[in-house]
Amino acid sequence: MRRVSADLDERCGLRVRRVVDFEGFAAQWEPSMFFLVRVQTPEERRSIEDLQRTGLDNLAWAISDQLEIGDIVVARPSKGELIVLLRASDTHHALFLTNRCNSNCLMCSQPPTKDDDGWLVEEALEAIRHLNWHPRTIGLTGGEPLLLGGGLRRILDAMGQHLPQTAVEVLTNGRLFADMSVVETVLSDLSTKVRWLVPLYGHANFLHDFVVQAPGAFDETIDGLLTLQEHQQEIQLRSVLISPVLEVLPELALFVARNLPFIREWALMGCEPIGFALANREACEVDLVAWGATLEQARAVLRTYRIPHVWMNTPLCALPQSLWPQALKSISDWKNVFAPECDGCAARQSCSGLFAWHERGWKPAPLRTMETTEVNS
Amino acid sequence: MPSRHRLLPDGHIIVTGAAGDFAFFDSEEFDRFCVSPEKLDLHKQADLRARFLLSDEAMPKGMQRLLASRVAAKRETVTSGPSLHAIVPTLQCAHSCQYCQVSRTLGDKGYTMSLADLDAACDTILESASNQLTVEFQGGDPLLRFDLVKHAILRIREGAAANHRIRFVVASTLHQLDEAMCAFFKEHSVYMSTSLDGPRALHNANRPTRGRNAYERTLAGIQLAREKIGADAVAALMTTTKASLALPEEIVDEYVRQGFREIFLRPLNSYGFAKRNQNLLGYSVQDFLNFYRRGLDRIMYWNQRGVELREVYASILLNKMLSTFDGGYVDLQSPTGAGSSVLVYNYDGFVYPSDEARMLAETGDRSLRMGRIGESLNELLNSPVRQQLVEASDVQSMTDCRDCAYNLYCSPNPVDALAQHGTMTVAAGATEHCQRHMALFDAMFLTLRAADEDTSARMHEWAQVRESCANA
Repeated sequence: MRRVSADLDERCGLRVRRVVDFEGFAAQWEPSMFFLVRVQTPEERRSIEDLQRTGLDNLAWAISDQLEIGDIVVARPSKGELIVLLRASDTHHALFLTNRCNSNCLMCSQPPTKDDDGWLVEEALEAIRHLNWHPRTIGLTGGEPLLLGGGLRRILDAMGQHLPQTAVEVLTNGRLFADMSVVETVLSDLSTKVRWLVPLYGHANFLHDFVVQAPGAFDETIDGLLTLQEHQQEIQLRSVLISPVLEVLPELALFVARNLPFIREWALMGCEPIGFALANREACEVDLVAWGATLEQARAVLRTYRIPHVWMNTPLCALPQSLWPQALKSISDWKNVFAPECDGCAARQSCSGLFAWHERGWKPAPLRTMETTEVNS
Repeated sequence: MPSRHRLLPDGHIIVTGAAGDFAFFDSEEFDRFCVSPEKLDLHKQADLRARFLLSDEAMPKGMQRLLASRVAAKRETVTSGPSLHAIVPTLQCAHSCQYCQVSRTLGDKGYTMSLADLDAACDTILESASNQLTVEFQGGDPLLRFDLVKHAILRIREGAAANHRIRFVVASTLHQLDEAMCAFFKEHSVYMSTSLDGPRALHNANRPTRGRNAYERTLAGIQLAREKIGADAVAALMTTTKASLALPEEIVDEYVRQGFREIFLRPLNSYGFAKRNQNLLGYSVQDFLNFYRRGLDRIMYWNQRGVELREVYASILLNKMLSTFDGGYVDLQSPTGAGSSVLVYNYDGFVYPSDEARMLAETGDRSLRMGRIGESLNELLNSPVRQQLVEASDVQSMTDCRDCAYNLYCSPNPVDALAQHGTMTVAAGATEHCQRHMALFDAMFLTLRAADEDTSARMHEWAQVRESCANA
């Protein structure tokens, strides 16, 4: 989540607001929305306060050079900061729906908590309602969004209604789709087009269940994938490249190719060195360069069976060159950095770069500054 | 967990599971697998579970559903209704091949379909629910009655629903092909399927004509079709006669020389005239296997030199073994494709379950008539003949097949059994069909087990579901 510091109107409260500039807010004003006016001078600020006194209680002001017009924000006034939920200039957009989860993955970047955080659903609905621009894609993430049941469905319906051109992605382990009542609530007559991002970490129950630290999870996820397929839902399968997954990757690829050929694509992803991954470092810290032959074996299987696939969150220097055509620049803008080795690297333009927290964690491989000749060959 | 196994000639054991996935074992590992699989290496256990070769006592719901979806995908062709309709407008043919079962010379009368029957056959075809249909004209030589072929194509095109994808194929010597026919075929995207048995001497010996120039005239037809209809408009298949057995390399080379990208090394079926000439024309399963192996080796030789050439018989077998999707080939389906995926509308006014069945009728056994042309598709599919065929080709119930390691890739051929043994329900193991396919699957699995990366990649490539041009 992107946090920005700001000098904040005390009337800002905990509401979701759309950021507008002083010149522009009048044109956008409507009574059912809440606005945060970015003011730059004491005069501007006083004008807003005057308007508030006349009864316009859906306005508040903020002074910050880190805000962009159109940002959808929620204030944390006690900390003097704002959380930017959605920003137009970002490439990747996501709404965080819950911190609760029914799995406990070894490498979870967002370790789950048990607290009731149902207010996040309302916050997401407000964020969707306040958008006045159309993101190409919004990812709905957690925690496990299926735990929200009807709450998730309200969000999906709201997305379909307010943002018909926006592609919706839901990151879920799919396990709760083994429960018919959840299937009914979430999928029945769903008109919003959704892409479901579902992780799979092994081709047998004990492999997958170990990685997600939840007995029975493999079978429930398989069941869920088949249910999604039955409902003609688009699926991106995901696997994070940690040791227990890399050790079986070619066989996992064969399992995917032979059993789940209906998926739209398979994303093979570098591990985020944060959260539980730091605690499970022996399983999660890998040198992808050393696994190059394994990655190529998996690719050969996927090519044989014509399974579309992409490599995500991995800098190009960590991947065999034969994999580059399928390597994406996939790291969310606010988490994305480059290392000193990347300066002058000929592949930098098309490279995913690194997670910001690699500095406290680890790099996915020893980085290499590549020459132009190497990159173009 | 139901899994089946078979000892391969190289001493390894192949184990196949309910989804069609398989694994190779050496004998020591196989014993462990049978007696105490929990002592196998954990990764091996995982691989076996992923292939439905090992599971807990009660398979959990997700894996059960997954298995069901796999089996359904493998059975798609035969469960989706008739997809290959063959029309035999005439038995007349200018050739007088020794092994040919059925054809009549040009002077013979009474071997041509009536216009009323032709119309009725077209209308029945249009009743098919399957939205991908192939309509193939066979003979005799259908081009001797181009008028009937044209009539049928126009009638079907006119009556077809927008969502029906219909592919037309004309099986012909191409001797009669002319520019006017080509123009019509081009307009209606009709493919040609011809016979090319090999080099000139072999082809002309197999296919005698009055001018002794069957080879030259077929080549001329191929060239004309490629020029006027399209570069990929013609496919060819060959029939292996006794004279072919010594010439697999020459036959393959002929296909390369003529620019074909597919070759179908087909064994001779023992029907009709071929059966009567058994001593003259027949050969053993082993003779064919030797021939086939040499032919495949020659194809590999060309492939390694960058020449694209795919053998159709191997592609069918490999599709069954390696692909999770059914390639749509009507062969080796259980229940049999004959009468379920395939219907043949014969010149004599009757509907038969397969090409072989109508040939059997020519030699006097008319028991495979499903009904008269004009009966609805529903009536034909509910005929007692179809019921018998289904029962006689259910690998789950038939002795010999029930426990066979290859039973998800293969199926008995009840029409063949009837022709050879006088009954559809003969024990599969006693049939040449079974002996040949056991040996072929053995050979394919042996090759696969020992394959280097290139060979393995090629085998998987051949196994892919594809839109074949004319080899249905």
